[in-house]
Amino acid sequence: MFEYDFMIYAFLSGIMIAILSSMSGAFIVLKRYSLLSETLAHSSLVGVAVGILLGLNPYWSSIVFAIIAAWLIEFIRVEFKIYSDAILAIFLSGSLALAVIIVSLADSFNNSLFSYLFGSILSVSEDDLIVMLVFSFFALGTLLFIHKELYFISYDEELAKASGLNVKFYNYLLVSIVAIVIALSIQIVGSLLIGALMVIPTISSLRLKKGLYGTLIFALLFSIISVIVGISLSYYMSVPSGASIVVVLIIIFIGTLFKK
Amino acid sequence: MKFSSSVFEVKNLCLLRNKQDVLKNVSFTIFKGDYIALIGPNGGGKSTLVKTLLKLISATSGTIKILGQNQSKFNAWDKIGYVPQRASLLDDNFPASVLDVVKMGLIVKNKHKLFFNSSFNHLLDDAMKKMNVLHLKDRQIGELSGGQRQRVMIARALVSKPEVLILDEPNTGVDAKHQKDFYVLLKKLNKDEKITIIFITHDIGVIADDIDGVMFINSTLRVSKTPTKDLSCNIFSKVYGFDAHMLTHRGKHV
Repeated sequence: MFEYDFMIYAFLSGIMIAILSSMSGAFIVLKRYSLLSETLAHSSLVGVAVGILLGLNPYWSSIVFAIIAAWLIEFIRVEFKIYSDAILAIFLSGSLALAVIIVSLADSFNNSLFSYLFGSILSVSEDDLIVMLVFSFFALGTLLFIHKELYFISYDEELAKASGLNVKFYNYLLVSIVAIVIALSIQIVGSLLIGALMVIPTISSLRLKKGLYGTLIFALLFSIISVIVGISLSYYMSVPSGASIVVVLIIIFIGTLFKK
Repeated sequence: MKFSSSVFEVKNLCLLRNKQDVLKNVSFTIFKGDYIALIGPNGGGKSTLVKTLLKLISATSGTIKILGQNQSKFNAWDKIGYVPQRASLLDDNFPASVLDVVKMGLIVKNKHKLFFNSSFNHLLDDAMKKMNVLHLKDRQIGELSGGQRQRVMIARALVSKPEVLILDEPNTGVDAKHQKDFYVLLKKLNKDEKITIIFITHDIGVIADDIDGVMFINSTLRVSKTPTKDLSCNIFSKVYGFDAHMLTHRGKHV
């Protein structure tokens, strides 16, 4: 399978996404903000649709739309004190509605949009890989340097604020990183499935009760295993890569349910 | 022995919420070394006052000075240890050991660093020893009882060597025996470590022992600081809105 360049790109990009999504996803799960990934995936889909409609690179437009949505969600949540799950539900359905309207305005690109819904890891090019590598470097570096602060905020936002942390700044930074990771990932696992890659590895590793670093390491392992096994299954069984990755993740999650 | 400098100096503090006064012209000073109880009925503004002092809620008007500095310019928050009300009600599944939680008290001093500075290890051990949770340091916080979690949260607040410790109803869900031990420990921190202590409580019996003063807050009588020897039925009746009677045993209020 490694005699093909596209398979090497697929594995490399998949592993990069696995690392990024499990690391950033851990903090949104701990903040009980899991639906954020699903919502931002739909928002980045609007970006893809706009990009294709206007003849722009969908990669960049999806990143811009995801970041704008992330900031708006955070702003409305904090300033208007609306329940997190409610504001996420509004943005989730709102984004999907917007994407559908844009698609219906120019139905000639339905096929390209379809690949963003379910992912097409085998279409990752060398250029995509370089863009991903650059963003991964910055996103992962930032997460590493602020992981202690994010951990404290996830534990108790008010206590973190009372201790002198600029909670607002860290929250905006986290949602921006999550938005970028999602926009980068939807080409690989698809906007309908990226939520699983962000959330399931952490939920599974939380079952093992290993503390913060144990949780992060196991989430990373589960994520990488699911990407490697999922892409291999996709290659040998000719099934969509995103769906295969998510099925592997679900099997791992079920396995952790038996942990006492 | 008391120190003359103030920890909190509050003047004409007002807080309006939905056009209703939550805090109205509240003025008081708490000095270094004080051991103060803040009491009042539910909804009387106790937690709101504490959160306003900690800048978690913005006041509508008035001034707050913390350790001699205006609150807006104050940034030495590691000198103020805070234990919130819900400390014992945290998520059981959160992936944190006792050590992880206590370390959170040093995060501001370790900002944007990949790992904790090992020179802080003795601070962590000291704080856990003081609160008698060192033997639990590798246990997950979700596995502990309410009282143990409470002690861990106080260790977290103490680890940065604060000058002030503020506790919001620290004994919620803790049995009577452990409550007594807990207040002995607070008094020890106040006396031996010279930490100014302010705690919110509903337990009027507890505040009668050893404290330097009581601050009452409710919708009618906003705030007053009264030495315990002057505690009177009249004050309690005004604060709680019912006819209170004070009993003493061996010269102490019970």
